[in-house]
Amino acid sequence: MSDGLFSLKKLTPPIRLMLGATGAALAVALAVAYFGIWPAYQRLKGLRAETEQLDATYSRMQKDIAGIPQQRTQTDAAEAERDAWVRDGVIEPLLGSYAMRGKSLLDPLANASGFAISAVKEDRFIPLQVPTPPPQQLHGRQLIECSGFGSYAQIVAFVQAAEQKFPFAILSGLRIESQSQTPERHKATITFEWPVKGEKRK
Amino acid sequence: MSASLHLNLLNDDERVCSSPVRMRVMLPIFAVLTVIGLCVWWSLLAVRLHNAVQVKHLQEARIADLKPSQEQVLSLRAREREARAVLEQLRFYRASRLCFSETLLRLPQHVPEAVQLTDVRIPLPPPLPPPPFSPPGLAVKTVPPGPTNLTEAVTLRVAGRAGSSKPSEAVRALLDAFRLPDFTNLVRAAEIPKGAIRQDTARGAAVRDTILFEITCDCGERRFK
Repeated sequence: MSDGLFSLKKLTPPIRLMLGATGAALAVALAVAYFGIWPAYQRLKGLRAETEQLDATYSRMQKDIAGIPQQRTQTDAAEAERDAWVRDGVIEPLLGSYAMRGKSLLDPLANASGFAISAVKEDRFIPLQVPTPPPQQLHGRQLIECSGFGSYAQIVAFVQAAEQKFPFAILSGLRIESQSQTPERHKATITFEWPVKGEKRK
Repeated sequence: MSASLHLNLLNDDERVCSSPVRMRVMLPIFAVLTVIGLCVWWSLLAVRLHNAVQVKHLQEARIADLKPSQEQVLSLRAREREARAVLEQLRFYRASRLCFSETLLRLPQHVPEAVQLTDVRIPLPPPLPPPPFSPPGLAVKTVPPGPTNLTEAVTLRVAGRAGSSKPSEAVRALLDAFRLPDFTNLVRAAEIPKGAIRQDTARGAAVRDTILFEITCDCGERRFK
C-alpha cells in the first residue's frame, strides 16, 4: 500500500492537507444534504400537500356553510313529505296490536257496507324492499286478516270502501266461500296489508 | 561535441504551478463554499418549513372554528337522506298497489246463468325465502335488510260449478269474459289449469251433468320499485 501509486506518504504535506480538508468538507456537505436538506425538503413537500388539502377542505366547508339555509329548506321539505306519507299511510299498533288498529279502521266501513266482521287478526309482517341508500328506519308490510259474512255485493263494497278510504291499504288476500246453508251469505276472509314501521337498521 | 547536462535542483514541494489558480488552494475553498451553500439552503428550508407549519396550524384552527357549522350541515344532509330513503321505500310499497274492487264488482255481470261460483280467492303473498345459510368457518354473508325480489306475482282463482245442458260452454264463456276490457286492466291472462274441470260426483247422479271448474287468472305483478 505504501508503495502504491496514490500512497499518502508520497504526497507532500500541503497536498495531503488539501485533500484532507476537501474530503472533510465533502463529508460534511454530504451529511448536511442527506440528514438535513433531504428530510426537510420531504417534510416541506408533505406539509404543502397537507396545506393544499386543508385549503380545499376549508373552501368546501365554507361553501357548505353558505348553503345552510338552502339545505335546511330541502331537509324540511323532505321531512314534511315523509311525515305526510307516514301520517296518511303508515299505521301504528292500537293498544299494542295491529289487529286492534285494523279493526278500528275497518269496522266503520264494514258497518256501512253491511259486511259483518266476526274476527280480525294480525297476520304476517313482510319486510319491504329497501332502496339504495337504505334508510335507518325500515318499513314493512303488515298483513291484517279480517273474516266475516256477507253477500258478494256487501263483501265487494267493503273491499271497495277500504281501497278508496285508505290509499295505502292493499288487498293482499281474499277468500270468498259459498255456504250451502245460506246461499246468499258467504264466508269471506279478507286480508289487507298496510305499511308499518319495522326495525331500525344497525 | 559537448554533451548538455540538465540539473534539476528543485524538490517536488518546491515546484510551483505556472497557473495563477492553484488547485491545492482552490479545491478546499470550493469544498468549504459548497458546505456553506448547503448550510444556507438548509437554513432557508428550515425557515420555509417553519412557515409552512405555521400556515398549517392556522388553517387547522380555521377549520376547527367552522366545525360546528359544518356538523350542522352534515346533520341536515343526513336527515334529508333519511327522509328521502323512507319516502323511497314507501313509494316502492305504493307502486305495488293493485286494486281489485272494480274487477270484483264487474265479475257478477259476466258470470253465465248456468255457473255458480263457490270460491273466489286471491292467495296471500308467498313466504319469503330463508336467509342464505353460511357454513360454519366461513365468513357470514351480510344479510340484506329487506327482500331482494322486486316483483310479486298475484293470482285470482275462481272456482264453481256449472250445470245446464252445456256446462262446458258456460265455463268457456266465463273464461272468455276474463279477456274482456272489463278485466284486462287487472287480469293479464286467464286459463283453466289441467285437471281443473271434473264432474261433480259428490251430489249424486241427479246432477251428473254438473261440472266443477277452476279458472286461474294471472293478475300481473306487484312491482316494488
